[in-house]
Amino acid sequence: MNSILKSGFAGLFATSLLSSAAMAGDLVINYDDLNPAPKAAFEAAVEAFKAANPDINVTVNNTDREAHKSAIRNFLTNDAPDITSWYPGNRMAPFVDAGLFEDISDLWASDANLSSKFNAIKPTMSRDGKQWGVPYSYYQWGVYYRKDIFDKLNIAEPKTWDELLAACGTLKDAGVTPFTIGTKFLWTAAGVFDYINLRTNGYEVHNALTAGEIKYTDDRIKATFANWAEKIDKCTPVKNHATMSWQDAIAPFANGDAAMYVMGNFSVSAYKDAGLTDEQIDFFQFPEITPGLARAEEAPADAFFIPANAKNKEDAKKFLAFIAQPDIQGEWNKTLGQLPPNSDASINTDDKFIVEGFETVSTAAGLAQFYDRDAPAAMAKAGMEGFQKFMLDPSKVDEILAELDKVQAEVYK
Amino acid sequence: MASDASLQLNRTSSNVPLVAVSLLVVLIAIGFMVNINVDNVMSTFEFEKRSEARVPAFMFRISLLIIALVAGFIAIINTGLYKKNKIAFSPWIFLSIGLVFFSIYVIIPIFQSISYSFTRWDGLYDVNGVWTGEWIGFHNYIVLWDDPKFWTSLWNNVLWLILFMLAVPIGLGLALFLNQTVRGIRIYKSLFFFPFVISQVVVGLIFAWAYNPDFGLVAEAWGFFFCEQSVNIVGNVTTKCSIDPPSILGDEDYATYGIIAAGLWPQIAYCMILYLTGLNNVAHDQIEAARLDNAKGWNMLRFVILPQLKPATFIAVVVTVIGALRSFDMVATMTQGGPFGSTNVLAYYMFDQAVGEGVGRYGYGSAIATVLFAIMLVYISYFLFRMYQDEKEGR
Repeated sequence: MNSILKSGFAGLFATSLLSSAAMAGDLVINYDDLNPAPKAAFEAAVEAFKAANPDINVTVNNTDREAHKSAIRNFLTNDAPDITSWYPGNRMAPFVDAGLFEDISDLWASDANLSSKFNAIKPTMSRDGKQWGVPYSYYQWGVYYRKDIFDKLNIAEPKTWDELLAACGTLKDAGVTPFTIGTKFLWTAAGVFDYINLRTNGYEVHNALTAGEIKYTDDRIKATFANWAEKIDKCTPVKNHATMSWQDAIAPFANGDAAMYVMGNFSVSAYKDAGLTDEQIDFFQFPEITPGLARAEEAPADAFFIPANAKNKEDAKKFLAFIAQPDIQGEWNKTLGQLPPNSDASINTDDKFIVEGFETVSTAAGLAQFYDRDAPAAMAKAGMEGFQKFMLDPSKVDEILAELDKVQAEVYK
Repeated sequence: MASDASLQLNRTSSNVPLVAVSLLVVLIAIGFMVNINVDNVMSTFEFEKRSEARVPAFMFRISLLIIALVAGFIAIINTGLYKKNKIAFSPWIFLSIGLVFFSIYVIIPIFQSISYSFTRWDGLYDVNGVWTGEWIGFHNYIVLWDDPKFWTSLWNNVLWLILFMLAVPIGLGLALFLNQTVRGIRIYKSLFFFPFVISQVVVGLIFAWAYNPDFGLVAEAWGFFFCEQSVNIVGNVTTKCSIDPPSILGDEDYATYGIIAAGLWPQIAYCMILYLTGLNNVAHDQIEAARLDNAKGWNMLRFVILPQLKPATFIAVVVTVIGALRSFDMVATMTQGGPFGSTNVLAYYMFDQAVGEGVGRYGYGSAIATVLFAIMLVYISYFLFRMYQDEKEGR
C-alpha cells in the first residue's frame, strides 16, 4: 500500500516522462552536483559522449547533492534512471545488498581501461567480489598550511608526529593557533580521526573498524584517541569550531590566525577565493605516527552506477566505458581540480596541489574512502558526533567509545 | 387524497432497480480493485518491469475507488431506509470523503509507522518492490531505552514545553501594555507582531548569526568589554579576548536554551496578538462596575480581566504547546541537533535517524515517532476532552 501510494504520487508527475523515456536509444543520467566546476566538467563529458554516439539521446537530471541523497532511495525502485552518480565503499553497500545496483563485473573484465588502469581503486568499487560502478574522480586529503607563516618561523614541513607537535609549539609561542577546523557539520572531525587512526594503526585496522570487525573500545583505537588527545592539547584547534562550517573555518586560516588545516583538495579553490595565493599556501602529507607503518591515504572517489531497474543498460555501459577513457578522465579532472582514477590519464601539472596529490595518492599503500563512506551511514553519524564531542572535551573519551560500541552492535547486523 | 398518499409512499420507498444496479457496480468495482495489482497490470499491458506498471496500477485503483464511492452514494440515497432517516444519514455522507482521505493520509500511516517500529529496515525496497526489512519485535524500544541521545531529546522536549510557556505571560504583558489609545499605537502593535510574520527558518538564521562567537551580535557586544584588536604574525588585524565570548550554539549546556529563546521571539508575538483581540472583547461595563467597587491594579487584572480572557488563554496555551512540539524547524536551521546531538528534540532525532543524511534506520526512527505520538496523545486527548466538555456546556 505504502509503496504504491508513494510511487503513484511521484508517478502523477512523472507519467509523461515515463512514456517518453521508454524508447530505445534514450539514456537518462542522474547527477548530483550543481556547483559550477563539477557541473561544467560533467556536462563537457556528456557532450563528448553525445558527439561520439549521435544515435543516443542523452537526458541529464542534475540535482543538489543533499536532495540526491534522499531521492535516490525512491528513484532506484520507482523511476530508475539508466545511470546515477553515487559513492563507493559502504555508501553503495545498502543498494548493492538490496539488489538495486547492476553488477558490472563483466565490463570491468572486458574493458581495456577498467581491466588494467584502475587497479588502485578497484577494491573500493567491489563488494562480494564483484564491481558495481565506475569512478570518474577522486582527490587527496592532507594538511594544507600557511607556507608564509611556516617560513617566517623557520618551520619545515613536519614528517613525523614529534615534528608536528614541535611545530605546533613554535606556532603557539608566536601567537598562532596551530589548526583550524569547523565541526558544525561533523564530517571534518572524521578526516582528522581517519588520519590519526591510519597513522597509528594502519589501513587494515582502520578498515576492520569501519567494517565493524573491531570495537571502538579496542586498545588500538584507544591508542588513536590518546594520540588525538595529545594533538588537541599541543596542536590546539581554533575555538568555537563547533559553530563553524568548513568554509567558516577558512576565515582564521586566511587571516593568518591559524596555520594548518586537515582537509581535502577541494578546499584549495576556497582558500584562493579567500584571497590566499599559491605562494602563501602549501600541502604536506599527514605526518607519520607509528614508525615504519605503510602509509595509507584518504582519497574519496565519486562514481557512476547503473540501477538494476535501468531501461537502457546497454547504452549505460557504453557511457561508463566512455568515461573510463584516459583523455575523458584527464579533461574532466582538469576542470574539476581533482585526480583522475585512470592511471594513464594526464594531470594538470601547473597545479602544485594536484601534482603533490597525485604523488601522495599513487604511492599510498591503501586508500580509505573517508569515515562517512567507509562506515555505514548510521554508524558514521554516531561516530562523527562522538568525534565532535571528543574534540570539545577529550576527557570524556571512555564514555564516548562505550557509546559507539553500542551503536556499532546495533548497526552491523 | 389517494394520489397524495401514494406520492407520500413513493417518496419514502426504495428505487429498487437503481439500488440493485448501483450495488452491483460497487461490488464489481471492489472486485476489480482487489484483483488489480502491479503484476496484473504488468502482464496485461506488457510492461517490461514491475516498477513501470506501478503508476497505472495505482491510477486504476484510485479510479475504481471513486467509481465504487459514487455508486455507493447512489445506492444509499435511493434506499427507503435513507429516505426515512435523511437527517441522521446526511452528515455521514458529507463526512465520508473526508474520512476516507483522513484515513489514507493520517490514520493508516500512524499504524504503519507503529508497525515499522517493530522492524529493522533501511528504508529500501528491492528491484521488485519487495520490502527489505525484518521483524525484530520490541528490540528497537529496548535499544531506545538504553540510548542516551533519546533521553537527551526527551529532556529537551520537556524543556521546550516548560520554557515555551513563558510566551503566554510575556505575550499577555505586552498585550496589556499595548492595549492603550496612543497616537500611532497600530504601528507599535504591528512592529511587535512582526516576528510572527517572518518564517521560522529566517528567525533561526538571524539568531544563529547573532549568537555566532566570531562575528555575531553577542560577540560584538562582548568584545566591547573584554576584547581588543591586535596585529597577528602576518600583519593582519585580529581580535584577542581576555575572556572568550560564549559560544552559545556550540556549547551543549547553552545550545538548547539559545534555540528556545529564538523560538520564543515569534511565539510571544503570537500570544500577544491573541490577547490583544481578547482584550477588545472585554466588557467595559464590568470594568466600570469594578472601578466603582474600587478594584484596580492586580485585583482588577486577576479577578475581572483574566476571567474574561479565558478563551484567549486557552488558545494561547494550545498553540504554544503545539509550537513547542513543532520545534523541529528551529533545531534544523540552527544546529541540526548539534553539538553532538545535545539539542535534538524527539521530532528531529526521529528525522535524523530515519531520513537525515541517509542514515536509514527507519525502524528505529519509527520507534522514536511512536514514543512521540504516545506523548502527544496524552495532550491531544486532554484537548479533545476539553472541547467535548465545552460543546456539552454550550448546548
